[in-house]
Formats: sequence, structure tokens, C-alpha cells
Amino acid sequence: MEIVVCVKPIPEAETRLRVGADGTTFDAEGVKFVLAGYDESAVEQALLLKEAIPGSRVHVISAGPSPRTDEVLRASVALGCDLATCVDLSSANSAADPIAIARALASALATVPHDLVLCGKQAGDDEAGLVAPALGELLGVPDFGYVVDLRWDAARKLLKFQRWGESGLELWEAPTPCVIGLQQAWNDPRTAKLPAILKSRKAPIARAAPPAGPTSPSSRPERFELPPPRLGARLIEYKTPQEAAEKLVKLLREEAKVFP
Amino acid sequence: MTPPVLVFGEVHEGRVASASLEAIAVARELAGPSDPVIGFVAGSRGEAAAADFARFGVGRVLVAEDPRLDAAPVGAIAHAVTAAARSSGSSLLVAGGTTFGRELVGRLAVRWEAAVATGVTEATRVDGTLRVRRAIFGGRASETRRLEGERSAIAIRPHAFPPPVERPGALAIERVATGDLPASLMAPHRTEVKAPDRGAGPGLTDAAIVVSGGRGLRGPSEFHLVEDLAASLDAAVGASRAVTDAGWRPASFQVGQTGKAVSPQLYIAVGISGAIQHLVGMVSSRVIVAINSDAGAPIFKVADYGIVGDLFEIVPALTAEVRRARGR
Amino acid sequence: MPDFALTSEQESLRDMARKFARTEMAPHAAECDRAGRFPEEIYRKAYDLGLMNLNVPSDYGGSGLSLFDQCLIVEELAYGCGGMTTSIIANCLALEPILLAGTPEQRTRVLSPFCASYQLAAFCLTEPSGGSDAGNLRTRARRDGDHYVLTGEKCFITNAPHASLYTVFATGDPNLRHKGISAFMVPRSAEGLTPGKDEEKMGHRASSTSTVRFDGVRVPASDRLGAEGDGFSIAMRTLDQTRTPIGALATGIAQAALDHAARYSLKRETFGKPISEHQAIQIKLANMAQSVRAARLLTWFSAWTIDSGHKGTLESSIAKCFASDAALHVADEAIQTFGGYGYMKEYPVEKLLRDAKLTQIYEGANEIQRTVIARELLRDYA
Repeated sequence: MEIVVCVKPIPEAETRLRVGADGTTFDAEGVKFVLAGYDESAVEQALLLKEAIPGSRVHVISAGPSPRTDEVLRASVALGCDLATCVDLSSANSAADPIAIARALASALATVPHDLVLCGKQAGDDEAGLVAPALGELLGVPDFGYVVDLRWDAARKLLKFQRWGESGLELWEAPTPCVIGLQQAWNDPRTAKLPAILKSRKAPIARAAPPAGPTSPSSRPERFELPPPRLGARLIEYKTPQEAAEKLVKLLREEAKVFP
Repeated sequence: MTPPVLVFGEVHEGRVASASLEAIAVARELAGPSDPVIGFVAGSRGEAAAADFARFGVGRVLVAEDPRLDAAPVGAIAHAVTAAARSSGSSLLVAGGTTFGRELVGRLAVRWEAAVATGVTEATRVDGTLRVRRAIFGGRASETRRLEGERSAIAIRPHAFPPPVERPGALAIERVATGDLPASLMAPHRTEVKAPDRGAGPGLTDAAIVVSGGRGLRGPSEFHLVEDLAASLDAAVGASRAVTDAGWRPASFQVGQTGKAVSPQLYIAVGISGAIQHLVGMVSSRVIVAINSDAGAPIFKVADYGIVGDLFEIVPALTAEVRRARGR
Repeated sequence: MPDFALTSEQESLRDMARKFARTEMAPHAAECDRAGRFPEEIYRKAYDLGLMNLNVPSDYGGSGLSLFDQCLIVEELAYGCGGMTTSIIANCLALEPILLAGTPEQRTRVLSPFCASYQLAAFCLTEPSGGSDAGNLRTRARRDGDHYVLTGEKCFITNAPHASLYTVFATGDPNLRHKGISAFMVPRSAEGLTPGKDEEKMGHRASSTSTVRFDGVRVPASDRLGAEGDGFSIAMRTLDQTRTPIGALATGIAQAALDHAARYSLKRETFGKPISEHQAIQIKLANMAQSVRAARLLTWFSAWTIDSGHKGTLESSIAKCFASDAALHVADEAIQTFGGYGYMKEYPVEKLLRDAKLTQIYEGANEIQRTVIARELLRDYA
């Protein structure tokens, strides 16, 4: 099976966010970019399928500004992906638009064989969750997000998976090709081994040109804001646990208005 | 007449999902006082579900009464929605913050050539320019985006807007044709749906109230204190990483950086100190209550209300008080 | 131009070690310290990820890292737990004599199968009668045809109870002092080789240390490393290589102590404000930060010197000596910053002090390092 994983470089979780100079996005100066957490689960899923289906290959693709993309591509190769492609959006000024990213990935997929396209169901920076469905539409195939536990039924040539829907955990069967957005941290992503990390530094990264032409309609970030620092809890004074409980319920009901 | 604003109603068992109904108020706000807001539902029980729209004052509902759409992948629904949007001349669609609603607007970005946004917490339309605000970086920041183009589709964030107010009115149903659905989109097949477990999935991520327990509970045998409080509030149950790592509760309960991100109306942290990796998963909750014996615990820095004390005394008292206050 | 920026490759190695230290080692550090438990499952994971035989070339199944890259990794590991790090890097020490003096045949025969699975090796130099006076060995290696017969006792041997391979230094004639010493590779299966029981230590309690007895252990002459009488030189060249990572290990402990102290100072309030706003604490933190930076830079400089092909005896002695003194000082100040809480085992800083102490003693006590530094230094003035 030809498996493609789409990955995104995002600021590492510990990053102290600052407002960028033009105020529309965060300040990337000195920020370390890593493989998005959801994408780690997608890479893990791809590798599990590759191990289960003889003759499979995993091709990892990232659309974004190089060299951030190259770092997450190499990290994916170190984990076991076979091929890597970068769609460099550093001059395209569209890396902040999820739909433009989906279009860039789709254009790269025009020349990359793919039975199954995996990605994180969203990324921990823009939290948009738009790439998988937009990519599905662009490729003319179904997409499913919020997926956990994807398996291949070799006898029936079907993908079997579970996804979280509004009414519960849904069990699905789907033929390939399709696009799947994975939930985070359900499959305990593996850690790259040191020799594999060293080897991945020399792995070739194919370069695909971003799609030509306008990407409108689009959404453009205008303002990036950090929340005002929380002032800290108002501590409830009490003499007995009952008094604490009564005061809290009253505050939740009358002041915060969140009591059910 | 200005083009109508379309509200996508996700249908389950013949009812419109409550998360979808939250979109009505947003649509009305964006439509302005004189512009029409219309609903859309699909599936074999579409007409029945349309009544839910009428209950909240949306009298005109487009119905794609089509059994093929009952358990269809979002790609197929996007076909039906696009057809309906085109036939109604609408240029703006609002979907609720369901998993399906978010994916739908992603498909519409391409199929309907709409500018899109998900997880919307505020939306304004001034002189035809739509701006949305949304939480990013797990609630550690927010952004304002301008949606450019003739058409837009947005999915709102669950619980970010007040629930709709009942305004029963007349119902006019308009049938819309789904047309041909590509075979590839209809090939996937839903075989089963399992009811959500309170401590996992949307039961946790989409709950309006979450009660989470941490290391302060000292052991698995005391975790029921958290579950009892959650039950009294009809809340979902979460846990800190310390709890899931220790195996007191399954990993599906974990709230935080490596677990689930939640943003309920009310988050109650019981015996959770508030390590950064937990905070990023819940800090965007609207109201946070912390109960902890250590007044220096970082959780009190992000909480709105705090009770410093012995949780083994406070929590049972709180559960009893909640039951009393709710008349149970 | 000197360049202090790490390459992206070095960053990814460091990040990987950091993740391992913080997710696999640190969560178990307190428990292993308290119980004196040797967490073999963690060492196996370290091996699986390629964190164990860092100095062994990849041709023989190791990771084949430069000394500089080894130091980046060792500092990160030590941040997670100094004791575990000692056990993880003990193979580097024990295998270095084979890398330095082994023939290609010996390396292929011994190193390749050793590195192919999780196995531990132990470096057997120190003896009960004196560690620093390494030329004065009592363990005898008597020639008997095409064999040697080893008799004697070694002490303070890291990983000895769990090792499958021992590199042993023994003398053919104590009167020849260091000229009489030869080096041998001895498998655990050799008859007469007996590790003692695990010692109760002040720190590094996740590591394992014991005596090793040799009661007429027969070793084929083909397992002698280098020529007869080369042993002392092999041992000294080995320590020239492995001293610098001890500087890195000490730096990791010091960085952990600084991080704990700085975080605590922002949280803990006295006289109505966080103690970080009191000048007394600010001065402490500033001094600690200087020590940590200096320790790291001296370690990097030593590693760079040796990677550049120099012997680096002076630089590695300075790095090891300074960084270990710094680790003790920074851990001490971290405890002082925590006040009474710092003295409690419930808090993580007292362990750092106990772990830091050993770095002043092992792999050449700091007194010996200073002797070496002075000797090397004065040579330039003579």
C-alpha cells in the first residue's frame, strides 16, 4: 500500500508565545518547530500499517516554509518513513492559510502515488482541522477526522477504523483511496533511534513547487492576541466544608452563571 | 432581499444536534435584523428534524430528504449542502461545533469555494466583511481572521455561544434535490455506533461541564469522589496525567497536552496541582474552579474560584450541595 | 571563527536524549534513588534507542558519535538522573580500551556481538588498596603458556553485578609499577570471576557498584589488549577520553539544580513577595547560572579539543574538575534556595547534591585532576 502522511511543523509545546511585529501572528524568532502532536500519531499509524501490509511504503509530505518543513520531514524519516517531499511555501505567503496548505499538498499528491492519505486531524498551532477535509475534496475522495485505531482488512481490501462522532464512537469500513485525520496520542508514538536520526540527516528530500495561481477565497489572520494574565483564583473563605460548598454553588449560579 | 444565512443542522435519530442549534443565534447575529436565517437538514428523517429549527424561530428549512445521507461520510453531505446553498442563493453558512460541522466547512472551502474558519468564538459582519475570532494554541492565544471572498462557511466552537432561546413559529419545508452522489464518496460504510463513554471522546471534549481528578485523590479507590461530583452536575469526568499514568483511570480520561483539550463552560479541578502540560488542555475553559490542599499550587493561578482545603471533606460536601441545589 | 551554534543534527540528538531523560528517566529517578533500584528496563530502552554504546563506531554496532555529541547526550541524560546516566555510560568507559588498543580481530570478535544486544560492560581498574594510585595494582596476571591467570580484587566497579564483559587491568610484576600492567577482556562466564554484592551508596543509587573477585581466572593471551605492559597507558588514554563526558554529566546535574531553584524562587513567597525578588536569592541564582554556563563551555571546549585530534589532557581535567565542583556548589545553593524544604527527601534537590558529590570523586578524583592540571600547566613555564 502506498501510504502518504502529511505533517506540519508547529512551535514546540513549551514555547512562550509572543505577538509578532505586525501583530497578525506569533513571533517566530527563536521558536523551535517540531512535528505536531497529532501528526506524530498519524506517522505512527502509517508505520503500523506499513509493518502490517507487506510491500507498503510511507511517503511523508510537508507543505510550509522551509527549513522548518525539512526538520519535521527528517524527524518522520528517522521514525521510519521511506520518502520525503517538501512543498516550500516560504515565498508563497500562504502557510498561515490551512486551505492553501491543503491545495499545496494536493498538487504534490498529483505526482505521488497514494492509496491512503493520513494526517493529524488538526494541528496544535492554528487548531483549524481543515486540511484533511479540504484535501479529501480536492482529491475527490472521502475523508474522516477524529479517527482512532485504523486497520487494514487484507481479505476484503477495506480500511476499518473508529472515529468520534456526535452520537458516539462510530465504526466504519472504507475502501481506498481516502483521507484520514488521526486523533492525538491514542497510539503511543514511537521514539526515533539515535542511528536512525543520524541517517535521516542525509535522507534526500524531494522538492515540489507550490501550486501556481491565486489561492482565494481564503482567510487571512489580522490580529494575534495573548489572553490577559489570569488574576488568580478568588479563594473562598469558609469554616466548614458545607459552607465552602454553599458559597461555591451560589457563585457559580449567580455570578458566573454556569450552574446547570 | 439579501441572501439568506444558512444554518447546517446535523441530524441524529431524527433530531437536530444541540450543538448545531447553537449556530442559530450566531447566524441571526450575522444576518442582521431583516435578513432571513434558514436551516438545512439531510437524511430520511429530515422533515421530522426540521421541526427543531422551527422551535427556535427558524421557519424556513431546506430538507434533503434522502436515505443515502443517513450515515454518509461528510463528503457526501458537503455535496447536498452545496446544492442547497446554491439553490437558496446563500453566501454564508454557519455550522455547530460538532466534529462533523468542522469537517463540513473544510469540504465546503473547496466544493463551494468558500472562505472558512472553525472553532469560532466570536463573529462579526460589517459592510459585508466577515471577521471571526478563534482560540488557537490550545487556548493559549486567540486570533482574528478576515474571511475573503463571496462565500463563507464557519463552524463555531461548542459552548462558546449561549444556547438558543425557544421561539416556536411556523415551519415551511423546502425540499432540495441532492442530485448525483459520486460513488467514491458513498463507498464508505458505517457499521456500528457505540454510545459515548463519559470519560472519553466527545463525552469529555464536548461536555459543557468537566470534573477532573488528580494525584491529590491519593488512589484509584477515592476517584469515585470525582465521579460522584460529576454525576451530580451531569458532567464528563477527566483526569490529570498522574492519574492515567498510574492506571487509576484509562488514558482516554486524560486532559492535557498529551491527552484531550477541553473548553467547557465549567471546569472543576480536584486535587490537580496544575502542571503546564495539564493547563494547556483546559485553560480555555470559561470558568475554572480549583479544589486543592496546597494554596501554592499553580492551578490557583488560572482558576476563577478556589477552595483551599481537604478535598476528601470538600468534595462530598459539594456533591451534596449540588444535588440539593438541583433538587435531586 | 569559533562557533557555539549546534548543527541541526546535534540539536536532534540532544532533543532525543532530552525527551528520553524527561519522559523515561526522570519520572523514576526518585523511586530508584529511594529504593536503590537498578532500573534495567530503562537501561534496555536506552540501549534500544542507541543511547548506550555512544563511542563505539557503527561498524561494530555502536552509535559512533564524536566526543562532543556524546557530551550533548550525557548532559541531557544526567538532567533526568545522574545515577542512571552513570550506568548508561559505563559501557563507553569499559569498551574504550578495546577501541584504543584492540586489534581489528579482537574488536570484531568481541565488540560486534557485544553491541548487537543489550549488554553491560565493567571497567575494572580501581582496587581496595588505592584508586588514585593507579600504577600500584595488586591484581596479578601470571603468564601460563598461552593463557594468563588473574588473581586479585577490584572495587567500586560500576555495573559489575550486571555486566557480561569486564575490561581488567592487572600486573605481571608489582615491582615494575605501571610498566608491569596489562589489560584484558574477560567474559562474565570465566570461571573464578565473582562480582560482589551491590554497595549501599550515598548517591547514584540507580546505578550498581560492587567489587569483582578474580580467583585464578584463566584468560587466553588472545584476549590481552595491546602488548604486555601497555595496560597503564591504555587506562590513562581511556580516561583521557571519558573524563570530558563526566564534565557533561556534572553539568546536567547542575542545570537541573538551577532549574529547580529558579522555578521554586518564583513560586515561594516570603515577606509578601516571591523570593526571586529578594536580592539574596537573585545573587545565588546569578552565581549558579554562571557556574552552569562555565561548566558547559569548558566541557564543550575539551570535547572539541579532543575531537580535533589533540590529547586534551589539560582541557579534559579542567572540564571534569570544574564541572563537578560546580555541580556540587550549584546543588548546594539549590538546597539553600529551597530552605528547609530542600533538605527534605520529598523535594528533588537533596538528591542532586548526593549525585553531584560522586562526580568529584570518580574517574580520577579532583585532587588528581588538579595535580594533572598543575603538571601540564607548569610544563609551559619550565
